Amino acid sequence: MKPLIEMKNVTKDFLQGDNIINALKKTNFVAYEGELIGIIGPSGSGKSTFLTILGGLQKPTTGEVLLKDQPFSDLNIKEKSKIRLENIGFILQSSNLIPFLTIKEQMVLYNKITNSEVNQKCMDELFLKLDVEKFKNKYPNELSGGERQRSAIAKALYHQPSVIFADEPTASLDTKRAFEVVKLLAKETKDQKKATIMVTHDERMLEFCNKVYEIVDGVISEITNK
Amino acid sequence: MFLAFKELKYSKAKFALIIAVVILISYLVFFLTSLANGLASSYTNAIKKWESDQVILTVDSNDSMMMSYMNQEHFDSVETNGIKAKLALFPAVINNPSSDNVLDSRVDVYFLGIEDDSFIKPSELRDLKLQGNQVIVDEELKKEGYKIGDIFGITGSKDQYEIIGFSSKTTYQTAPVIFMSLDTWQKYRYGTANTPDLFSAIIIKGESKDMSLDLISYTTDEYISTLPGYNAQVLTFSVMIVFLIIITAFVLGIFIYVLTIQKTSMFGVMKAQGISNWYIGGSVIIQTFLLIIIGLVIGLFFTILTGIFLSNVIPFAINILFYIIITLSFILFSFFGGLFSVKAVLKIDPLKAIGG
Repeated sequence: MKPLIEMKNVTKDFLQGDNIINALKKTNFVAYEGELIGIIGPSGSGKSTFLTILGGLQKPTTGEVLLKDQPFSDLNIKEKSKIRLENIGFILQSSNLIPFLTIKEQMVLYNKITNSEVNQKCMDELFLKLDVEKFKNKYPNELSGGERQRSAIAKALYHQPSVIFADEPTASLDTKRAFEVVKLLAKETKDQKKATIMVTHDERMLEFCNKVYEIVDGVISEITNK
Repeated sequence: MFLAFKELKYSKAKFALIIAVVILISYLVFFLTSLANGLASSYTNAIKKWESDQVILTVDSNDSMMMSYMNQEHFDSVETNGIKAKLALFPAVINNPSSDNVLDSRVDVYFLGIEDDSFIKPSELRDLKLQGNQVIVDEELKKEGYKIGDIFGITGSKDQYEIIGFSSKTTYQTAPVIFMSLDTWQKYRYGTANTPDLFSAIIIKGESKDMSLDLISYTTDEYISTLPGYNAQVLTFSVMIVFLIIITAFVLGIFIYVLTIQKTSMFGVMKAQGISNWYIGGSVIIQTFLLIIIGLVIGLFFTILTGIFLSNVIPFAINILFYIIITLSFILFSFFGGLFSVKAVLKIDPLKAIGG
């Protein structure tokens, strides 16, 4: 199995007043293709720091992040943006949908930004699989929470990223929908050989994950007996 | 472009309000410009029509053509490499003797005495001969009902004059000009007994080289700026117009800024996804341009419509060059207003959007 995203000896310190806070202690982490990885931990434990460093939104204090075996965390902001746009899909709790674009236009935006052709086949497949087809011409605020979340997943998958970050993707869903969404995510990850890293509070979702990590006080450890 | 257009389409009502503000202000600015231009033109049309380079008055006149008295000796003393012409000017009040109410038919005018072969004579009427009481009048008098062949009188005298032609764009200090021969003018000004051969100014096309010491020369533009009230009026309008343009830029800039701040979290998410500052900032600027341009076009349309209906009532002159300058200033200043929002976009931290 190929490693898709990797953290090597990463630490992150913050300066708060005169105190140095070790938000993330020395961390080694790797996500291979086809893996859905669950991350749990109390709030303030360093989950977000972990995810944002992995996603290149902030720099680690020491260590480095590799994306598809290429150095990622040491690039400049512009280069990282470009790599994120092409290789990383985000599914966020607060929905990554743009309020004034229809669901279909959310996908087309990627093509407009990258000056590429609309991938109609990929879009149709995704819409069918995620059951988005019937409201693809609606705006996000016309949809239910579940429909929005499915659309957000479609958007995250549309440009075929190799890594997906999902931050509480099931937060606004009822149990039935939540299971559906996570199952879908697990299936997509496996079929498309992506790596998905999902932060969640909902422990029922962990049964779909290949691995589960817990972060407590900046220390990450794998939970084997989930 | 995609993002900017789609948002405009989605939030129609919100952007319509902003466009309405731009329309109102740009209408006001275009209207004021046309009015200022119209007023300035009606002040100076007659002078501009001479296509002269210099105006010569007596030193004693203190810039006032009506208070300048000169004779043939003065005229002969002026040496020029071009051509020179005598000009006599004095205000008059005319009336229509055949009107039911003669008092109501009074109009303020300027009597302008020239030699019949003078270059000052409106070129389109060169064939008409100015002699005796036969005069050419500005077409403004058509609005009072005068036609070719009509007779008008002047207050305080029994003299009557016959209209033999209408000249266009010949108003002086907003009043219509009446062209007549120098002799006729002198009789009006000084009476028929022992009429002195005096006139008011020498107009030069070309450059004057030498002249009598009690004369003073102005370039035509210098002379225009000495007209009473002319500079004050032009300055007043200009200040209003410039400030309105700056205010519009501020208003638009603030609107866009508030909208941008409202979208902070959305832009943050977009940046987290890897969408560049350049693209997000670009669509903010494009939106600014779209709003200002749509507003300007509609504002200009209403201005021209107003001009068509009101140009008979108020001095309203369309000037394409001024419109272009104003339009470009609006766009330029609004661009600076939009830059505040771009700065705000640059400062958005994608980390916050992710919930870090």
